[in-house]
Amino acid sequence: MDTARYAELFLTESQDNLSAINHALLELERTPTAREPVGALFRAVHTVKGMSATMGYTVVADLSHELETLLDLVRRGERQVSTALMDTLFAAADTLERAIELSVAGREDEVDAAETIAALRAAASSPRDGATVLAAPAKPKKRKRGGGAPVAAPAAITVRVSLEPGTPMPGVRAYLVLERAKRLGTVVHVAPAPETLDADTFAGRLTIGIDTGASDVEIDRAIRSAGHVAEVAVTRAGALDAEQRPASPNAAGARSGANAGRASELVPSRQHRHIRIDLHRLDTLMNLIGELVITRGRLQQLAMAIGDPALTEAVTQTSRLVADLQDGIMTSRMVPVWQVFDRFPRVVRDAARALGKQVDFVVDGQEIELDRSLLDEIGDPIVHLLRNAIDHGLETPDERVRAGKSPTGRLMLVAARDRSAVVIRVTDDGKGIDRDRVLARAQEMGLVESTRTELTDDELMRIIGRPGFSTAAQVTDISGRGVGIDAVHTRVRALGGTVDMKSVKGEGTSVTVRLPVTLAIVRSLLARIGDETYAIPMTHVNETVQVERDTIRHVKGREVLILRDDVLPVVHLRDVVRLPRRDGGGGQVVVLEVADRRAGMVVDELTGQQEIVIKPFDAVKDGLSVFSGATILGDGVPALILDVSSLF
Amino acid sequence: MSHTVLICDDAIFMRTMVGDILQQAGFEIVGEAETGVQAVEKYRQLRPDLVTMDIVMPDMGGIDAVREITKFDPQAKVLMCSAMGQQALVVEAIQAGAKDFVVKPFQPSRVLEAVQRVLG
Repeated sequence: MDTARYAELFLTESQDNLSAINHALLELERTPTAREPVGALFRAVHTVKGMSATMGYTVVADLSHELETLLDLVRRGERQVSTALMDTLFAAADTLERAIELSVAGREDEVDAAETIAALRAAASSPRDGATVLAAPAKPKKRKRGGGAPVAAPAAITVRVSLEPGTPMPGVRAYLVLERAKRLGTVVHVAPAPETLDADTFAGRLTIGIDTGASDVEIDRAIRSAGHVAEVAVTRAGALDAEQRPASPNAAGARSGANAGRASELVPSRQHRHIRIDLHRLDTLMNLIGELVITRGRLQQLAMAIGDPALTEAVTQTSRLVADLQDGIMTSRMVPVWQVFDRFPRVVRDAARALGKQVDFVVDGQEIELDRSLLDEIGDPIVHLLRNAIDHGLETPDERVRAGKSPTGRLMLVAARDRSAVVIRVTDDGKGIDRDRVLARAQEMGLVESTRTELTDDELMRIIGRPGFSTAAQVTDISGRGVGIDAVHTRVRALGGTVDMKSVKGEGTSVTVRLPVTLAIVRSLLARIGDETYAIPMTHVNETVQVERDTIRHVKGREVLILRDDVLPVVHLRDVVRLPRRDGGGGQVVVLEVADRRAGMVVDELTGQQEIVIKPFDAVKDGLSVFSGATILGDGVPALILDVSSLF
Repeated sequence: MSHTVLICDDAIFMRTMVGDILQQAGFEIVGEAETGVQAVEKYRQLRPDLVTMDIVMPDMGGIDAVREITKFDPQAKVLMCSAMGQQALVVEAIQAGAKDFVVKPFQPSRVLEAVQRVLG
């Protein structure tokens, strides 16, 4: 088989399953006696095993096989969920992830799974090793039923089987499934009834009650050998509490159905109909629509110049269609943030464990959508923020109790839509930033005048955000190299977003990242300096004002603009682009806003507003860092896009 | 060593097609039968690893042929080849001892999957 063609599909599907595995592990850690997480785990691992074996990735297949074996024991209640077991499972999930990535990259030989496999085997072969049991041990299996007479027969097992959609003659296939089940033991009941299986109404789902000594894995294997089997779910009545034991076979079916339903909620209930599209294709579409938007601008200008009503009407209509098309394509690139947020609970859990903190992690606004490429970029900065919050923000349980707080810290990650931006906020209820220490250190470094006694939130963040500034008592693996907030700041700014921070000593810190919803097309104000046109993204434009030269005052050697009751610092775009200032007065002032800061920027002339398409711009590395990109305007003339936040 | 196959179907087209699919997958076609009677005879004679069996054939149908073959060799591996709408007959064939089935029109991948299951 030409497996290369399937490698990418394998990778995406495995990633989905890994995500499900991590979620189920977290769930299991929270509720060690719950059965659903184990079932979900088992299914996901099993799927990975099957896929990897098909692909010939033997290391992944072996690893998932060992993991599956251990999970089967857990599922049957033969291993208790202990901290040691959880650690083994988490570590195995990590190894599995690495093994999958390396295998797909053709570097399977670099995978080192020996240690993990050994740990899994050890856990599977050493029952009850005295490790800390996370919760009340599962109730001992009922050995007796009815009048107390010992029952030799094994526990009744309900097997729910779904056939692959489109299976030819599903009824006959189900009959084969039933034949396989009969080989395992005694089939107690079947729904729907076997006589009706060859009817056309059979929907491809079969519930079989069976008495057998076979393990879940054996059952699974036997049933699947009938072919065209999509899913096998095994429920053991004997492992349930007596009260929960199904009263009738039908109830058993319903119950396992409910289990399956709940387990699938672990993998979010967002199962719309989807197709997978290579992001490159969407990028190509986006580029094309970008070109179209530029051409539309030209067309509009030409139509205006010609002034023919019929032409103008046609152009107007075309414009509307282009706008709709642009909208549609942008929407198709939008993905809910949970696709990236999904891995954060695990990140938080690991960081909290490593640092000995207790964290209650809450995520809100998972359904908020962002452009796919933006979302990919924002993942790492958010991880930085979360780790920072756990390391520097939240106190240890002891410290918290001493401070009169609950021992468990609260960490919130919230995404929300705010006009044309998406706001992502990380809030902790930890100790807050020690302003006095930051101030002292800043003064030491000569960043702040020695006479200052207080720092605003704004200054605080700018100081902390400086590369190399850290007051962390010690550098840890988690964060604390003084690059955390700086790295976030740099990354977010490159995406056209802003970061701001609020912190109250003793109460906590909140960092807010504001991002444009999409990267590629932004509405911009066009400003002219001499013969050159510059684009200023509207997200940062507060207002524009016409000023005379004398409205700009000098305060302490700096130029400021008095605007109503506000005093705004002034920058000249001519200074920014290193052109001599014009003689004579006035001009237009664009009031820019970044986070809560405002400034006035003097330009020669404002020439209008336009949707601009951001083109990749390599020169920014060596040239002036005040531009974030370039664009081509409606009249075909190139223009540079101003990186507004770099001016502050 | 490649597996040996006996193909039973009254249509040359179907025999050719099934033969091609299996041959390309490395199977050795050791015989063909056009009727149920022939199928049983050739099975005794050739002892193939696998039999593909059409259901409707003149001179003893596929189901009876399966019954005869499994009576002779309970380990016989017979794959039924069925047309749409023959559900009841396929079930009967399975009860008679067939191990699996494929439904016409044949997709090579489906046929090979079924063969693997039968031989596995």
